Amino acid sequence: MAEQALNTAVGPAQKTQTASGALSGAFMPRVITGFAILLTWELVVRAFAPAYVAKPTTVILAIPKVITEPAFLQALGSSLAAVAEGLAITIVIGTVLGLLMGRSTTFDRIFRVHINFFNAMPMIVVLPLFSLWFGYSSAARIATIIFAAIFAITMNVADGARSVPREYLEVSRSFRSGRLRMLTDIVLPASMPYLLAGFRLAAGRALIGAVVAEFFLSVGGIGYYILYNSRSYHHNEAFVGVLLLAAFGVSFELTVNWATRRFMPWYRRDEKTT
Amino acid sequence: MIGKSTLQSTALRRHAPFWFSIFSGIAVWEIAGRSVSPAFMVPFSTTIARLWQLTVSGNFIPQLVDSGKLFFAGFGLALIIGMPLGLLLARIRILRVGVEPYIMLLYATPMVALIPFILSMMGFGFAPKLLVVFLFSVFPVLYNTVEGARSIKPELIEVAKSFRSSEWALWREVMLPYTLPYTMTGVRQAIGRALVGMIAAEFFLSATGLGQLIMSASQNFDTGGVFASILVIGLLGVGLTRLGLIIEQHFARWRQ
Repeated sequence: MAEQALNTAVGPAQKTQTASGALSGAFMPRVITGFAILLTWELVVRAFAPAYVAKPTTVILAIPKVITEPAFLQALGSSLAAVAEGLAITIVIGTVLGLLMGRSTTFDRIFRVHINFFNAMPMIVVLPLFSLWFGYSSAARIATIIFAAIFAITMNVADGARSVPREYLEVSRSFRSGRLRMLTDIVLPASMPYLLAGFRLAAGRALIGAVVAEFFLSVGGIGYYILYNSRSYHHNEAFVGVLLLAAFGVSFELTVNWATRRFMPWYRRDEKTT
Repeated sequence: MIGKSTLQSTALRRHAPFWFSIFSGIAVWEIAGRSVSPAFMVPFSTTIARLWQLTVSGNFIPQLVDSGKLFFAGFGLALIIGMPLGLLLARIRILRVGVEPYIMLLYATPMVALIPFILSMMGFGFAPKLLVVFLFSVFPVLYNTVEGARSIKPELIEVAKSFRSSEWALWREVMLPYTLPYTMTGVRQAIGRALVGMIAAEFFLSATGLGQLIMSASQNFDTGGVFASILVIGLLGVGLTRLGLIIEQHFARWRQ
């Protein structure tokens, strides 16, 4: 988990480095490649696929129609509310669990094996179980989102809490601070970058969890919107939903990167690896 | 003799918390399972008994083999296509620079969202499921290989070129040692994703394999069957993740 957090945090930092160096040189090839991909897609679909299959021109034409459609907006709102609710619960529980695991050896020994087990398990296998437990309802969707996201946060926060410099703790101990204050005032702020890295991972998984749950449980939302429209051969409309999901995935990434730079400018993870 | 027994006792001490934690987890599961309705949750003992029943009745092993075929076919295809393509991108800089952002975009896109399209275009059968597992697992390999290519210092290639190294030597001495560790990180991530893709394909396309086992158990309110399948899939996940870590660490020794 530690190295996973490291990897994800390293990528963008390196990218900004290289991008600033070679932005002018990179721009044209990227635009040309983009056009080439879209053109190939368009031509292949026009030549070989049935008319309902999504292609760039028809998807673009469908965008204004879809984003003003009340059913779509409702689906989007429903999914995002579920993801937000699930993530809020996940952050609270996941952080508390992670702090305990990172700072208490006993706690870590008891829970590490199980957390590793659940984290390695493909999260969608719990869907049939959750549908038994919660019925085909939005409660099952929230449960899926939490299950999908929580272990990423717990493991990252635990890694962060473990790596708090010993001197910080010694100083606070010599000032006779209590255990709880040490957790809230020193360990938590010091593991903030890890929390953010975990959050980025968790947000992506939560989104996937929501979509998968909607597929499986037929709960209204953006995933169900995609499923319903592609079943009724409205592929262009459905594809707008996919584009939106991709945009959310990327924007989570960018927001967390921005937040790390803005609020933790002293934090440079790439120093460790380069 | 003394040395051996201390060795054993340190090994025991090292592994004791692990087994203690496993057994206490099983104990909690057993107690919790016994104290609630069996429609809701079954204890560990019932789960194992059900798993044994499924194995004996011949329902379990063929499904496991079926899922295994899908997993290895899709994941293998991702490696066969992803690794050479990644290396090609690593060598041809202009191509890499052009394709990079799109690979990142696809890497970040939740591939599950494409399943309904695949279903309505390709229908049921093995090919669409193969495509799903492939799509889930190819982008981590590509993304990380490209990342590795980016980590190669241009000076290294310049030096190699100024010493008139052949293309083959350049690959062997510079390109592969630098990109392969990253590719293997991608392989580790791809293993996990391929497993998710496998289950997703079995859930949402035609029901086969372990996915079908768990679906039919849940539809028959056979909670024991559901828990047994989840346990097996979870253990598969742990084993494959472990394998991925070992592969990654083996190659990480090269990484600077």
